[in-house]
Amino acid sequence: MDSPEAKLLIEQKQELIDQYLQGKESNFLEKMTTRLDEYFYRVFEKSIAARKMVISGSPFAIIALGGYGRKEQCIHSDIDLLILFDKAIPPDVEAFVQELLYPLWDARFEVGYAVRSINECIKMSFERFDILTTVLDARFICGASLIYSEFMEKFRQQLAAKHLKPTLNYLYENGEKRLEDFGDSSYLVSPDLKSGFGGLRDYHTLLWYAKIKSNIKTRRDLEYYGFLSHFEYDHLEDALTYIWDVRNRLHYISNRKSDTLHFEHQAEVAGLMDYADTEGAPQVEVFLGELHEKMDFLKQIYRITFEDIVSTCRVKNETVTPRPTKTEGLVVKKRRLCFANTVTIMQHPDLLLRIFLESGQTRIPLSIEARRVASEFRHLVDEALRTDPACVKIFKRILGMSLWKFNVLNVMLSTGILARFIPEFAPLVHKIQYNQYHLFPVDKHSIRCVQILNSFKDPGDTIMGTLYNSVFKEIRNKNVLLVAGLLHDIGKADPAKEHSRRGARIAGPVVERLGFSPVEKEDILFLIEKHLFLAKTATRRDIYDEETAVYTAHKIGKIRLLRMLFLLTVADSKATGPKAWNEWTENLIKDLFFKTMSIIKTGELASKKTQRLIDKKKKEVLNLLRESWREEEVTRQLSAMSRRYLLYVPPQNIVDHINLFRNLGDREYIWQITKENKSDMRTVSICGKDKPGFYSKLAGVFFQNNIDIVGSQAYFLGDRHFLDIFNVRPPQDRLFEKEKWEKAGQDLSMALEDDHYLDNVLEKIPTEVTISSGSRPEENQVRIDNETSSFFTIIEVLTYDFPGLLFAITNTLYRSGINVNVAMVATKVDQVIDVFYVRDIEGDQKIESEEKLNQIKNAIINRLPQIQSKEVINEKN
Amino acid sequence: MKKIEAIIKPFKLDDVKEALSEIGIYGMTVTEVNGYGRQKGHKEIYRGAEYVVDFVPKIKLEIVVTDDRLDETVETIRSATNSGKIGDGKIFVLPVEGAIRVRTGESGDDAI
Repeated sequence: MDSPEAKLLIEQKQELIDQYLQGKESNFLEKMTTRLDEYFYRVFEKSIAARKMVISGSPFAIIALGGYGRKEQCIHSDIDLLILFDKAIPPDVEAFVQELLYPLWDARFEVGYAVRSINECIKMSFERFDILTTVLDARFICGASLIYSEFMEKFRQQLAAKHLKPTLNYLYENGEKRLEDFGDSSYLVSPDLKSGFGGLRDYHTLLWYAKIKSNIKTRRDLEYYGFLSHFEYDHLEDALTYIWDVRNRLHYISNRKSDTLHFEHQAEVAGLMDYADTEGAPQVEVFLGELHEKMDFLKQIYRITFEDIVSTCRVKNETVTPRPTKTEGLVVKKRRLCFANTVTIMQHPDLLLRIFLESGQTRIPLSIEARRVASEFRHLVDEALRTDPACVKIFKRILGMSLWKFNVLNVMLSTGILARFIPEFAPLVHKIQYNQYHLFPVDKHSIRCVQILNSFKDPGDTIMGTLYNSVFKEIRNKNVLLVAGLLHDIGKADPAKEHSRRGARIAGPVVERLGFSPVEKEDILFLIEKHLFLAKTATRRDIYDEETAVYTAHKIGKIRLLRMLFLLTVADSKATGPKAWNEWTENLIKDLFFKTMSIIKTGELASKKTQRLIDKKKKEVLNLLRESWREEEVTRQLSAMSRRYLLYVPPQNIVDHINLFRNLGDREYIWQITKENKSDMRTVSICGKDKPGFYSKLAGVFFQNNIDIVGSQAYFLGDRHFLDIFNVRPPQDRLFEKEKWEKAGQDLSMALEDDHYLDNVLEKIPTEVTISSGSRPEENQVRIDNETSSFFTIIEVLTYDFPGLLFAITNTLYRSGINVNVAMVATKVDQVIDVFYVRDIEGDQKIESEEKLNQIKNAIINRLPQIQSKEVINEKN
Repeated sequence: MKKIEAIIKPFKLDDVKEALSEIGIYGMTVTEVNGYGRQKGHKEIYRGAEYVVDFVPKIKLEIVVTDDRLDETVETIRSATNSGKIGDGKIFVLPVEGAIRVRTGESGDDAI
């Protein structure tokens, strides 16, 4: 059964919550504190155990610590209590503590309490910093006030006498550790309202620091004692009220003391905060944007404190006289960069930019005052300054100085100078995207992107770091990449979709103002418009298909652009968050980059010339087939065909092949034999379903039937079909040519059925070939190129023509588990260069193992006949 | 009840999702995974340095269905991912002992 006191507490708290949520009670934290204080007065008044202790000469004070001490009780905040005795602690205290705590527990408050003597408490404070900071917030509630004041006096004396430095050091180190443990909260999907960077702890640290340094009593004193300007104090009040409001609602929703604003609670909190959906931006985005802005402010306030702590702790005997810098109008004071005076800024507003350059170069941060001044004078950054070539140059240099440890661009953003210099950037500031993908608001994301691009200057110690570094070194104009990095998301100011294309439009005037040449401008706008292209292609298309790389290469066109787009993609993804970037994504994008690179480098399939040629051919084919085919059917057919095929086969032949393909139906293959007009040659075109070994079997069947192959090409037609073309001399017996071809057709069917049908033909391949040319014969050569293409191993065979040559080579390949995907076979008089683009049948990819490559090479060499010339034979005779 | 685990090529995910939603299956777990089978990793050379990709990036789908929907679901996944090439993936079917919906406490087929 709950005690009457517990009931009263529950009622009072509920009433307060109701009023608060209805908007009738704005000062919940203090009111809640007062209710609790009143509770302690009542219990203390009534307690017999308390009276006994006082009478028996053990007076004591009830003291509020921590958040309760600061009068900042949120709905489910815990209560920190100290029961402080002058000297010895009487045994009766236990009964009193029970009287004091039970009703609180019944009312479901979480209470932390300690019973100590003054000396004990002081000793512990200086042993444990977490106790020390709660003591800094100590507030007398009731009991013997003298004990409280004696304790505080002693505490302060000792603090000043010997504990000042370690305490300040603790504050500093604790901040570092907090950042490590919780991360920068204002950037997290689930920000921690209390302990995260940008959380309430930042404000606490400021307060503790001020209490240590100047013994201030309340928050209000921060301004009176000069820790904050009036403007900053107003901002702080505003930010705190807001964050407490969020925290209270979060406590209410989660029904417990919870400080992490989880993704799933965000929309509900936004609803309770009375946000309404505005045009284009859902309420939760508006809410998070505002929360982020407030937390960002706390973070800045924290930085100020932090800098002060560092300079108090670390800088010794620094001269107070300002030291001049290389830039006139800027000085260094206490290791901070400052404006010499504000009048110079009026005369030379470019100092508002120069100070960031100086800071970046010297690695000396701007003083707090300098930040204030820059922010307050930012209106001086006007159109004249934006287009001034000297200022533009300074800005570009600042971009290159944005690094992890010391990011001067971030300071430029927080002072508002960046958004003045590039007004188009202003709508991105604190722009939130509500999803689990984007960790950072757009402005911070863009700056992180620049920062990551700059980090590629250093290879680091990872393999991928080496890759990014070597690509980065190859980029001639780094400013193009950096500006594209800064502006890539500028289209997000508008909530509508397609931000890339709009971004390129918005960026146009900015890039012009920044004095880039027309070519550079074109590059930057291309990078902005296509900044999602690589990542999308890598995840939405089959990167193991050569056509994907060819498509990508064709879209990007230039190696220079590919390099920059690759780095921009990496930096953009990394700056977005872990959902956008992990090893998995990295692998996909890297692979696509390599594959596209080799396609562009070779130039064969994706150059502008190739594209023009292919486009022209497609048109011709369409024209030729207009009568018999529907246009969209032809277009579909053409788009499925491989580029290599379209590039090398003449339009009339493509037309024949399309017709051939149409007649294929369910058959395994279909062929067509045409007579060449002038010469006595035949062209055999064969179309069929892709099947390893088919090409080799064709060559074998021709050899078996004494059909002499002069040239041949093999292509992948797309959609699992191939097309082989053979130029052959007709069978010698012209009378029965048709029958001969029929016989060859039957043999082919048999060979397809029985994998060893052609084995006996192998024996007919000559083991020696005598050539008639005068000079010494060249040796047979097999060259393997495994670098030019990411998709195929390219095998070149140089030898002399002999019957069965193509079968000898392709059968060897087939028996080694290799499939011929593309072949180009040409005979010049008696010398032959055969080029094969092959892939491993198992795994359907290029051959990776050196061992296998050597095996294949040797197998082909061994299969080729010995070459002898007539002279050699004569010598023997 | 059966659990279907399908390893597919990354770019086939949208096709599979669409095909499955057409037969009324909307829920699934999607994981980015790396692996290799007959399709192995490979290496690329850039500026003299070798970059090895040990594994092939794939997507793993996990779907739990009632027994009567199993064949239809498996066939839908198969036809959406089949390109006839190596690396199209694999589909595994595992028995499921039970299922409980956390919110309502419903169990068995009702929880799917």
